[in-house]
Amino acid sequence: MLRVFLTAAVAVVIAATAWVFWDRARGPTATPIAGFSAPFVFGRFAVPPDNPLTQEAFALGRHLFYDPSLSGNNQVSCATCHMQALAFTDGLAKSPALSGGELEFSSMSLINLLWGQERFFWDGRATSLEAQALMPIQHPDEMDQDLDALITELQASRDYRRMFRKAYGEVSAENVARALSTFMRMLISSDSKYDRFLRGEVRLTAQEEHGRKLFMAHPDTKVSLRGGNCIDCHSQFLTSGFRDALDGFSNNGLDSDDDLPDGLMAVTGNPAHKGFFKVPTLRNIAVTAPYMHDGRFETLEEVMDHYNDGIVVSDTLSPLILEADNAPEAGQGTVGLRMTPDEVQSIIAFLNTLTDEGFLTNTQFSNPFEGDG
Amino acid sequence: MRIWMTGLAILLFVGGALFFALGPQRTTSITLTFHAKMGDHPLVFDEFVYENPGGRGTFRVRDFRLYLSNLTLSQDGALFAEPDSYHLLRFDNPETTNSIRLNDIPLGSIENVRFMIGVDPEANGSIQPRGDLDPNSQMAWNWEVGYKFVVMEGTLRIGEEVSPLVYHVGFSDNAREVDIQLPPDIAVEGDVDLHMNVDVAKLFDGPTQVDLRKLSSVKFNRDDAAMLADNYAVMITPSFK
Ligand code: HEC
Ligand code: HEC
Repeated sequence: MLRVFLTAAVAVVIAATAWVFWDRARGPTATPIAGFSAPFVFGRFAVPPDNPLTQEAFALGRHLFYDPSLSGNNQVSCATCHMQALAFTDGLAKSPALSGGELEFSSMSLINLLWGQERFFWDGRATSLEAQALMPIQHPDEMDQDLDALITELQASRDYRRMFRKAYGEVSAENVARALSTFMRMLISSDSKYDRFLRGEVRLTAQEEHGRKLFMAHPDTKVSLRGGNCIDCHSQFLTSGFRDALDGFSNNGLDSDDDLPDGLMAVTGNPAHKGFFKVPTLRNIAVTAPYMHDGRFETLEEVMDHYNDGIVVSDTLSPLILEADNAPEAGQGTVGLRMTPDEVQSIIAFLNTLTDEGFLTNTQFSNPFEGDG
Repeated sequence: MRIWMTGLAILLFVGGALFFALGPQRTTSITLTFHAKMGDHPLVFDEFVYENPGGRGTFRVRDFRLYLSNLTLSQDGALFAEPDSYHLLRFDNPETTNSIRLNDIPLGSIENVRFMIGVDPEANGSIQPRGDLDPNSQMAWNWEVGYKFVVMEGTLRIGEEVSPLVYHVGFSDNAREVDIQLPPDIAVEGDVDLHMNVDVAKLFDGPTQVDLRKLSSVKFNRDDAAMLADNYAVMITPSFK
């Protein structure tokens, strides 16, 4: 009897050990993320063939995104500057730099990154999310982490070893970038009031609808068409910049030639791109103040004052901005849309329909180290 | 058994021979290369090097692009229409050219090329992405009107004074057909290489001559838009070598 029992026990142990080895040795077992929903009006998107969207990569990416051990001092995570409740911005004009002072640019929201421009950062210097993801980790003023040290650290953790194995196979810097990218690609916001309006589920109020029309129209005094011309740069459904080539970058009149930052020119070397910045998505814009690449505007009212009569002329200023004017008579010193206060308020009301509460509180996007993650 | 095999072999042979004899003949490929020009010279972006055709001042071009759609190739009444034929032609590259290539067209040769500058009313009224039509792109417009067909943006300078130039021409009525007859000897081994000039100058100096100072923007005014459409109707011409 004992003999039988012992033999059985040995067999079980052997089988279990074999399974453990086999499980470690075999390739990743990632499950593709099947048919996630995105409105057809968002249009086409592309996922790099060598980094398919999988549940395991998403889970790993989410952990990495919220894990301060990705930083040199183990105190800063991506989420420090990209907080879900603020549509993944940080609520500051400029985030504090590790070495004291502040970063050069304001943090950017992370929303619907599968669509819109295929370049990242305000000046478009990263040409894929994979290329972008390792930059803040190594940046001396952001997370200041040595990649080799990071990989050693991650390898020491059993949980990470398991998650990497399932998602990709090995623990590597490349796979850190891939997983973070997968997490960010899935940050899809498509249930704002505007989306529900587009799906025919709700009506906009008269003021919101007025604002929507103004947002979507370039003014033409010749045919008495009034407009805010936002659609000239912020696409109508995504509200981000355009995807093709460099169409999603532009100079919206923040600075004069004397103090115009390089912007996209730093990347392309083309002087016609001086002062061009990435046209940001306006989804969840009500919660991402302060605004613009340097966070110079505190409120949407200030943003609208800028577009309405605060445009600063420079050589590369968009001619669409310079030309868009709702007043028939020539301007007196100021440049801008010159809309009525009512019209300005209507556009702000429309911008408020872009807030997606479900996105800001979706537990799949929240910190996995807290609660039931 | 043997007899069956032999029968099958004969059948296969005859079938194959028939297939090659009667099946589709040669196919043809075509490359359409569009060269953006200002008059006789390649278009230059972002420099004040062009004279206002109808008045004072010099201007620069910041952006020029157009939709070409409904590309049809024909030979002797046999027609090939490219499916989902919507091409955005943009020229912001060092050669200021843009090419469209179609392979394996089921025509023995090509005698005639036809397309539209602009978009047909059906596609123009839809928000479904097709070909290069994209409702989230820069060519999307006021949705009551549809897409912009031809876009030219730039700046006019008169003395020290600069002012913006914005020409966005749309409206379904303003799509214009272009019909090009090819010379008989253009195909080389089933491959047609067709070059065409897209002369931006024609936009302001076609049937109607435009003073850019007086008419510095065209958007939703129907008469102005139709006038520019008649001008761009003659903008694309073949250049046979
Ligand atoms: C110290 C604050 C900070 C930290 C930490 C940080 N970011 Fe950022 N993030 C920024 C700032 C500031 C920008 C804009 C920077 C620029 O344009 O140069 C930005 C931009 C981005 C963008 C570009 C978005 C777009 O639309 O182009 C992405 C993506 C991004 N961050 C992801 C991450 C990831 C992933 C991490 C963690 C690995 C991270 N960030 C950590 C501050 C931070
Ligand atoms: C010529 C192109 C253009 C037009 C037209 C335009 N924008 Fe923008 N918008 C931009 C660019 C570029 C930025 C980023 C500028 C920067 O930070 O340097 C921007 C930034 C913004 C921001 C701040 C976003 C953020 O995350 O900080 C808001 C809000 C905004 N625009 C709203 C509007 C509205 C509303 C309209 C219409 C009244 C409009 N824009 C018209 C190009 C444009």
